[in-house]
Amino acid sequence: MPGDATLVFIAIGGIFAFSFYAVLVAGQLSLGQAGFAAIAAFGSASLAPAPSEVGEIPALLIAVAIGMSVGALASIVLGLPTMHLRGVFLAIATLGFAEAVRILIINTESLGGAQGMSVPKVVTPAIAWVFLVLVAYWFWRQGPSRYGRALAAIREDELAARAMGIDVGRHRLQAFVTSGAVAGLYGVLWAYFVRLIAPEDFSFTTAIDGLVTAVVGGSTLFVGPILGSVFLTLVPDLQRAIGIDAGWIRPFLASLLLLLVILFLPGGLAGLIPRRVRMPAITGTDLGSAVAGLDPRRHPAAGEQVVRLRGLSKDYGGVHAVRDVDLEVTGGEIVGLIGPNGAGKTTLVNMISGLVRGTSGTVEVLGVRPGRTAVHRIAAAGVSRTFQHSRLFPRLTALENTLVGSHVVARPTFLRRLLWLPSARHDERQALQHAARCLERVGLADKGAVVASALSYGDQRRLEIARALAADPSLLILDEPAAGMNRVEAEQLSDLIGALGRDGLTILLIEHNVGMVMRTCTRIVVLNFGEVLATGTPEEIAGNPEVVEAYLGSAETEEEPR
Amino acid sequence: MDIQQLLNGLFIGSIYALFAIGFTLVFGVLDRLNLAHPAVFTVAAFVGIELVEVGGLSIWAALPVVFVVGGLLGLVIERVAFRPLKGRPDAHFAGLISSIALAGMFIALLQWRYGPDTKRFPAESFPETTYKVLGAQVTGVQVAILLITVVLAVGLHLLVGRTRLGRGMRATAENPTAARVVGINVDRVSATTLAISSALGAVAGALFAMNVNSAQLGMGSAIELKGLAVIVVGGMASLPGALVGGLLLGLAEVFTVQYIGSSWRDLVAFGLLFLILVARPQGLFGTRKVREV
Repeated sequence: MPGDATLVFIAIGGIFAFSFYAVLVAGQLSLGQAGFAAIAAFGSASLAPAPSEVGEIPALLIAVAIGMSVGALASIVLGLPTMHLRGVFLAIATLGFAEAVRILIINTESLGGAQGMSVPKVVTPAIAWVFLVLVAYWFWRQGPSRYGRALAAIREDELAARAMGIDVGRHRLQAFVTSGAVAGLYGVLWAYFVRLIAPEDFSFTTAIDGLVTAVVGGSTLFVGPILGSVFLTLVPDLQRAIGIDAGWIRPFLASLLLLLVILFLPGGLAGLIPRRVRMPAITGTDLGSAVAGLDPRRHPAAGEQVVRLRGLSKDYGGVHAVRDVDLEVTGGEIVGLIGPNGAGKTTLVNMISGLVRGTSGTVEVLGVRPGRTAVHRIAAAGVSRTFQHSRLFPRLTALENTLVGSHVVARPTFLRRLLWLPSARHDERQALQHAARCLERVGLADKGAVVASALSYGDQRRLEIARALAADPSLLILDEPAAGMNRVEAEQLSDLIGALGRDGLTILLIEHNVGMVMRTCTRIVVLNFGEVLATGTPEEIAGNPEVVEAYLGSAETEEEPR
Repeated sequence: MDIQQLLNGLFIGSIYALFAIGFTLVFGVLDRLNLAHPAVFTVAAFVGIELVEVGGLSIWAALPVVFVVGGLLGLVIERVAFRPLKGRPDAHFAGLISSIALAGMFIALLQWRYGPDTKRFPAESFPETTYKVLGAQVTGVQVAILLITVVLAVGLHLLVGRTRLGRGMRATAENPTAARVVGINVDRVSATTLAISSALGAVAGALFAMNVNSAQLGMGSAIELKGLAVIVVGGMASLPGALVGGLLLGLAEVFTVQYIGSSWRDLVAFGLLFLILVARPQGLFGTRKVREV
């Protein structure tokens, strides 16, 4: 049986690993947690009342409150200037912060300098495990909430998450602050268990240990950090128990195990736990947000302005990708955007969805100004899009991808899920229903449990549409949705787009399959070298010799594949 | 200004630079942070001492051997810690962890062979001669440290800029998939890059051990943090940046110790690092990568 100390170390090691998990789920690598923990440990040790004055448990609770607050506060201070950093850069910046904190503490006489401070021992295995369970509960409830899915989406593809209406900056900062508070909790529990805290307890090695625990345990399922901590705490004990204790064998085997886990268990230990994805039974077929119990959205009526471009241009260096385009789209229209490769179609829709800012001219879409307004606000206003090259969230299931799509119309559920409020359950069920209906609408009803990266190419294209539909958009932008589809699939897609148009959606369709555009659209705009070459009904466009020449080239050089 | 301190800063700074150049080479070409680099640095220090003590080599003859040992370790690192992760969506995080794990194994093996204690070069390994430069005392080892660093840095610069292998490295850095399409053996380029990187890190380790005449199992951790600071300050993936950053850090440290106090020395690196990351994330010499939409 493991001793008391082992039990405590498993618990607080798990809590520390959760502080890494908190950011890893959002795809952020931070190594600043040791710094937050140090600030919390030394802060609470100097500020909290002594157990002899107020009793052991009250003293510890006050210390925890102080530690978590200063941890969160420090992470805001560090997070605000560093949240624009990505990947390794964020890791190194936060590591630099943690080291700076450590050195500052070493040089602060009132905190004991390099010797550190003595702290009363209050934490017992029971106390440590209660805190571990509380933290694990928090992350268990976070996972399948709207907030948790948004973080996963950011981890998988930040740009697509933005286009789905997720405020990436705010979500990343929230994850970072959660991490700071949990690291603060770890710092306090550590201080109130080991009796003597020294700056060396919060070094680079400490941070690496925490990261390793989180990754070995698995950073996609909330039990991961606990499994990691049990595993890494018990390995040395086990080795001692079976009599391997030559000085070098223990670290060697521990490192070897770590290597094997990371190479052969990509999801960490938690990856061994089978995941069940249940598809909700579908009732009704309506995709409208009001019926789905989501925040209702009013779509522009026929004839109302949806998109208005005036003199819009975009230059890349000396290349004029889009030149002086005027375009208006009104409610219920299905507008086809065609033109040869490099005509500026994708650049144009990137400007309409706010991903790219025009060089000159104005864009107005559904009352907002893309290019001047954050991308997620454009999505919130009702613009939803697919991408020319699929940008699905590869490790999420089709159903989860679609649920992320509904971010802008779904209600936040995390806080209510923490309290087990029935309304959260109800909202989640509605969102699931809505997502399942969107999948059914594109013909993926039976693929909901499949991860996006495992879907066939055509199914991935369809899933992109389902994800865009889940936002209950007023303007749906489809960037080459039929690319790679065969004739039958393209016809089905064409029928679907027609049906969506009849439901009142305004659609902007970029497509090379001219036949499909002719069949589907009410109006066609032809771009060539960034300029509008012609615009009109399908019949007018088909009869326009200029268009035929520009689009198909002259007869000798023709190499149109379809 | 104190010439002696200035030179001391340059000597320690060139070891930082040599270490950081290897670090940043892997980051630049393979987009991976190789955290086994400091372990190679440590291994090289111990191996260097053994070559002199047991093998009877002079310290100068030991350096090329250390260079080769480092290169071989680099091949092991590539094969064990990085190649198996190819194509995994979490390759970034996983590569950090797998290289940490491999580093742990290297250090454990060092402990097995050499024990946990500090090792030193045998007495009289070092030439007695000292030189007077602008009134400051300089040892032969220190001069050699500076020269070797400059020669290796220039050599690497030429290799990357002028040779077929260097072209393959630059192409891989730009886009591994496209490099493969045009016929570059990306696996071989990766292995060679790690071998060169580790060989440089190994020479840095041996030089460091000569400079302070000691080697400890924990010597990699301190320089690891400094190496990270240097490559960020100089600009991730920038070789000249790593060189200049390393020298700057060495100078800044020496003068901090002299004018502020030795316990503040390590704050310099991180203060500098933090400022650069917030104000100019691409570093002094780096260029900002344009994100694709």
